[in-house]
Amino acid sequence: MKPVMTFALMTLRNLLRRRTIWGISIVILLALFGLGQIPGYGISNEGRFILDFGLFGLEIGALLLAIGLAANIYPRDKEQKTVMPLIAVPLSRGQYLMGRFIGAAMVQAAAMLVGCIGLMVILLMNGLNIPVDLFPATCLLLVEGWFLLAVVFFFSFWTSPPLNAPLTVLLFILSQMSVSGFINILPGAQGFMRFLRLLLPHMDVFHIKDPIAHGVGIPGIYFLLAALYGLAYMAFMLSLALAVFRSRDLK
Amino acid sequence: MKYLKLVILLILISLTGCRIDYDIEEVATPEYLGEIHEHDNVHAETEDNHEHVTDETEVCPVCGDIHDQEHVNEHDSTTISASSRHVHDAGERNHGTEWFFNQPWAAKFIWGKMIRDSIILIILAVAILLASRFRLRKKR
Amino acid sequence: MNIARLVKNIKLAIVEKDGKESNMTDVPVKVDNLEKTFRKSLGFSSFKAVDSLSFQVNNGEILGFLGPNGAGKTTTIKCILGLLKPTSGNVLLWNDFPASGSVRMRIGYVPENPDYEDIFTPLEFMTMFSSMRKLDISKDQMISILGRVGLEEWVNVRIRNFSKGMKQRMSLSLALQSKPELLIMDEPTGGLDPAARKEFRDVILEENSRGATIFLSSHLLSEVETICDRAVILAKGKKVTEGNLDDLLRTEDMFSISFTVHGAETDMPENKKVTSADLQKTIDELRKNGQNILEVKPVYRSLEEVFLSATSGGKL
Repeated sequence: MKPVMTFALMTLRNLLRRRTIWGISIVILLALFGLGQIPGYGISNEGRFILDFGLFGLEIGALLLAIGLAANIYPRDKEQKTVMPLIAVPLSRGQYLMGRFIGAAMVQAAAMLVGCIGLMVILLMNGLNIPVDLFPATCLLLVEGWFLLAVVFFFSFWTSPPLNAPLTVLLFILSQMSVSGFINILPGAQGFMRFLRLLLPHMDVFHIKDPIAHGVGIPGIYFLLAALYGLAYMAFMLSLALAVFRSRDLK
Repeated sequence: MKYLKLVILLILISLTGCRIDYDIEEVATPEYLGEIHEHDNVHAETEDNHEHVTDETEVCPVCGDIHDQEHVNEHDSTTISASSRHVHDAGERNHGTEWFFNQPWAAKFIWGKMIRDSIILIILAVAILLASRFRLRKKR
Repeated sequence: MNIARLVKNIKLAIVEKDGKESNMTDVPVKVDNLEKTFRKSLGFSSFKAVDSLSFQVNNGEILGFLGPNGAGKTTTIKCILGLLKPTSGNVLLWNDFPASGSVRMRIGYVPENPDYEDIFTPLEFMTMFSSMRKLDISKDQMISILGRVGLEEWVNVRIRNFSKGMKQRMSLSLALQSKPELLIMDEPTGGLDPAARKEFRDVILEENSRGATIFLSSHLLSEVETICDRAVILAKGKKVTEGNLDDLLRTEDMFSISFTVHGAETDMPENKKVTSADLQKTIDELRKNGQNILEVKPVYRSLEEVFLSATSGGKL
């Protein structure tokens, strides 16, 4: 574990120096603060509006950060040949992947935490209460972000960065669709579409912005199980990414 | 052999097809579905069909909640978020992902499914890791 | 050839003999019938970079790995390090597969044109590398290793300010950090000035005298000639020759006779090259003429001659 954590910290330091990451984070924060300035649909709906759009913003932020953080890591390492001395001697391919992933996941966690705090500040500034489920909901969005990060790493081992981003966004969109919604894209091939949908992850488990915005009490067990589902899917995607990476030649 | 592995992998992943979505009809008990179908002629399942204007005390045909005037205004708006088109008081069931939160049968279904899916995914992850490691040793 | 190399060759022969008796397969590197083909143009055409290559690196020796550009040297090294997977054949390091954790802990690698994440300083990189390799090295020891390769004044300067040669020095320091049993070097002195090359050579020899096995791929034939015990020469992915440097450099049937001319104005000896067939006859003639024979020795070619002859298929 020590090699992985050392490499993760190395990755963290490296990523924090990238302007892209700061750019995405600043845009998200500005968007969140902009929310506080929009009147919403009247005083009674204001909190709901801020929560609904704030959590949506965090989710999109998690997606953008996942792409911004991870899409270019491996291709860049490969192009600059910095991956060679690392994999030849101190690290195995698995340790390399985990180190890079954990480093990026730490940046994402920090960004989501800042986003959550920003949202809380906006609610307070508008004289609104902070729902108890806001923090767990952000944690769930973070799990979604980590899952997307694993997806981006998976794509990065066999596609180029310009292709990685649209593929990840496509997966993000399709994974949000309900089974029936997905089948309706091609109603003529119901069986095939159902099978195809079942192959995709079900990211709707992370969507609890509506109930939170509407003040619906969410059972604690739901947060735990949704996080478990997300982390399990993340582990699955990482194992797939590693299998692809292990089969790749480092020319 | 290569394709057989792929087919097995696809079948196993499809097993994890967690149906936590808006498809109430796929997982709900017949009693619950009966309740819904009684109102089918007045209220479609999708949120986009909330074009009707309700009276102040109209009962929502899907959830059975009593909506206030605010609800009517929300329905008329075309610029608001999807989740806000159909507004309920805090704690009341709404259309969307959260429909299962206060349905005991749905909750049980969802919890069991999520645990099962997670276990399958973890087993798959470990199997893929071991297989790729074995292949790596064999190749090099 | 020099006496030191001769003594070392005898020692290596003894070690090799002992090794064969104890465990034949426990050699640092054993490449067996290695083949590596790269696919190009969406898999419609392919290029065979290494073809039926077999050789081994024995314990404690310095093996020179030579070949013209595109001969397959780097590809072979990458197969040895587990960065590329062979199309067929085997590569074993101490009878284990290349990418295994235990093997990686025993080797040091100096890549060709090394590059590192440039936001770090050499000292930071050394610290992280030692942590990744689970080594227990103090900061002073790290500075001392960096000093060994001439980077003592640059320990806290970001790598982005480094020249190619300095990156190579850093790369060597990272490889030396773990006191590796096997040091694999791919064109390590390519971007270095002559003084730095000499320093590199000295470090390689020091490491070898410590007991490390050195696998040195280089274009600089003079360098290989100076420090290597054995050489493997590749051309177009195939091995064209292999052997002890003494054997490779010695011409098969040419001898040089050094003698002083009777009654000459100076004492400077003269040399005469003859074939083995004519050797005895020439010696007899010289003695008959009263010449004083000082030395008879085989004629050695330069490694460049050997290399050019081998890589051109013996046409030279």
